[in-house]
This record gives sequence, C-alpha cells and structure tokens, in this order.
Amino acid sequence: MNLIVRTTFSLLTIAAAAGSLPAAAQSPCTAPSPDCAIVGDFDLSVSVGYGTRTNPVTGREDIPLYVIPQVSYYGKRFFLESLEPGVTLYESDANTFNLIATPGYDRVFFSRHDLQNVIISSSLAGGDFQGRENPPTPSFGDQAFPVPRRHTTYLAGPEWLFRWRDFIGQVNALYEVTGRHKGYELRAGVSAPLIQTKQSLVVNAGWTWKSAEAVDYYYGVDTLYKPGGAFNPFIKLSYAVPLSERWTLTAFVHYEYLDDSIYDSPIVSDHEVITAFAGLKFKVL
Amino acid sequence: MRALNSKFSKAALACALLLSIQTAGAAADAARPPIELKLRPRVCTLSGDDETCNTTVHAQWRSKRNESLCLFIVDRPHIRHCWENHAEGVYSVEVSFSDDLVVQLRDAERDDVLASQAIAVIRQALLLRHKRRPPWNIFD
Repeated sequence: MNLIVRTTFSLLTIAAAAGSLPAAAQSPCTAPSPDCAIVGDFDLSVSVGYGTRTNPVTGREDIPLYVIPQVSYYGKRFFLESLEPGVTLYESDANTFNLIATPGYDRVFFSRHDLQNVIISSSLAGGDFQGRENPPTPSFGDQAFPVPRRHTTYLAGPEWLFRWRDFIGQVNALYEVTGRHKGYELRAGVSAPLIQTKQSLVVNAGWTWKSAEAVDYYYGVDTLYKPGGAFNPFIKLSYAVPLSERWTLTAFVHYEYLDDSIYDSPIVSDHEVITAFAGLKFKVL
Repeated sequence: MRALNSKFSKAALACALLLSIQTAGAAADAARPPIELKLRPRVCTLSGDDETCNTTVHAQWRSKRNESLCLFIVDRPHIRHCWENHAEGVYSVEVSFSDDLVVQLRDAERDDVLASQAIAVIRQALLLRHKRRPPWNIFD
C-alpha cells in the first residue's frame, strides 16, 4: 500500500501516544455519559437500521446489518464491552491499563454465523450468507480450490488507553489464545471529537498489524499462497444525536485498507472493507 | 400611704404566685421521666439516580408514666398522631423525603418537644469509570 498513507496513520497514532499527558489536562468522569459508565450498571442497547459491510473475499456477498446489539458492564475491575471482556489493572484520568480478550475480526468474512455478524434475516438479503457455509470455490488461473472453514478465534493481551484533552488513544498487543493460528495482532487507534454539542461527530484513525500466522490462517492457501504480516490502516466516522432519554439517532462509516499481503491472496478480490450503518439506537437497560 | 402599701403587697403576692407556678412547672419537667422514641428505618441510602426515599416510617415510643402527647414530622404539618394518657405508642406512615427526616413527640397541651429522632439520608457516591470505545468493534 501507499507508503505515505501508511506513514500518516502511524504518525497520527504515535504523536498522540508520545505526548506528555499531564494529568491536569484530562477530563475526569464526573457524570454518566457515553464516555463514562456507572460502576455496577449493566447497559443493553439495540440499534435497528440498515447498513452493510463489504466482503473482500472472492465469491462472498456483502454482509447486511439490520440489528446491532450492544452490551456493556463495568465493575470496579471487570468489564464487558460487547464481545470483549477484560480486567482493569490500573486507571487514572490520563491512563488506563487493561488485560482484554477480543475476537479475531477477519472471521466475519467467512461465516454467517460468526457472533459479530448479528444480522436479522431478511428476504431482501441474498448471497452466500443465506445459509450456505461453502460458497463457490475461487479459482486462481485454471486452478480451483476450496476455502476451508475458519473457526472463531480469540486474542488476549494488554491494552493501554490514554486520554489527552479531547483525544483518546488505545493500543492493544494481542496473542491468539484459542489455538487456531497462534499469531499476534497489534491494534492502535486515536479518536477526536469533531462536533460535541448535543450531537456528536467523532473521527477515529488507526491501524491493525497482523502477524504472518494470523494472516495465513484467514487468507493463506495451501501450497499456493503463504502471506506475510499485514498492516491495515483504518478511519471511522461516528455520528450520534440523542432524540430522547432512550432513543438516539446513530450512524457510522468505517473504512479499512487491506495490506497487499491480504489483497494478493487468491481468495481476496478487494483492497478495502467499508462498513456503514445508520439507524435508531434504543437503550433497553 | 396605706393604699400604696396595699398595691405593693398585691403586686408582691402576684409575683410570688407566678414564681411558685414556674418553679412547680420546672420541678415537674425535671421529674418527668425521659421518653424513649425509636424509628425504623434508621437511615435511608439513595443510590444511582434515586432522588427521594419512599418508605414507611415506623415510630415507637415508650414512657414510664402515662403521657398525653402528639407525634409530628418536622416540615410535614399534615402528619400528626396523638395519644391521650398512654405509656407507649406505635405509629406508621408512608413518607417521601430527600433530606434528613425529623420526628418529634410533643406535649399535647404545652407543645414542648419531649423526644426527637431523625432518619438520616445518605447519598451513595456514584462511581464512574471511563468507557472503552474500541474503534475496531462494529458494535460501537
């Protein structure tokens, strides 16, 4: 991928991380808000709307999104954020250190039944996620080959969150602990509010680096393609405006650029993944 | 001069009478056994978004002699319950309150406060934590 784009994303993240982060510049949690959770409270929300996630895997249809549930719980140490449980080792207004477990995101492109593909079935939705786990076999030149099943994987490791003025950054160093590929992932991102009045518009930028083992598990092809590590930058825009105590109008668009080591795979036909969703979020609990 | 003496002696008599009544009243107060007043609950704890305590207040009093008294809740003039010549009494009432609730027993005739207890309101400090907002996550 373009070296300039890659360097820009790296610098964005490193610049935020390298700041001196004086504690006085941080905004402490003084009232419940989208960024501050009440300890001991269990939150359940459901977003209903329409969205799609493009699928870069050859022969697979894009993934429709209709219903997105969100679960969150924060205890004094333990927390659960949708599919990501964790334990907080240290927290201040400026820095937080966690141990987290998080799913491998790439499986969503291979299985309709992945927990992250929470989709209400619709007659409008077609394609290979309508019950078929084995899509048409991709071909490479005149050679056809099956795409074996990818299992759910979980990664675990430390996470560093830092807050400086309105910027929030996070860095994860993760190892695959479910024994499927035993690879590594590094994830880094920084977010900043563009609008923060009654409505909010937040931009996130960052990257994911996946080790060769992780990339190979999802995108490698036996005897034909053995990929190296992958560096995927992304940018995300999230918009929200509360309509009432329980209802919020929400929308986001997420763009991820796939590294050449993924794009060069014979089972991949697209260089990017775009996820977009707009709908109404209802706070159940 | 005789008339003056007469007026003076009447005034002195009145003063003496008044003084003796007051002394007798004070002596009666001093001799009055204390009245024991108990309240349930003892405290009300507000947590989360709670702003008021909505609870049934149980008051129980006991004295060593028969009393004629009334139970009041401070700043709630509509709540009043009286007993005539009783040595003990129980009263329950539903109350909503957001600050300490003071319950008093007062003498039915003289309105003196004979006993007073309070239910303390304790506001539990809201513990807050920074939320994670993982941008890789589709759910957020």
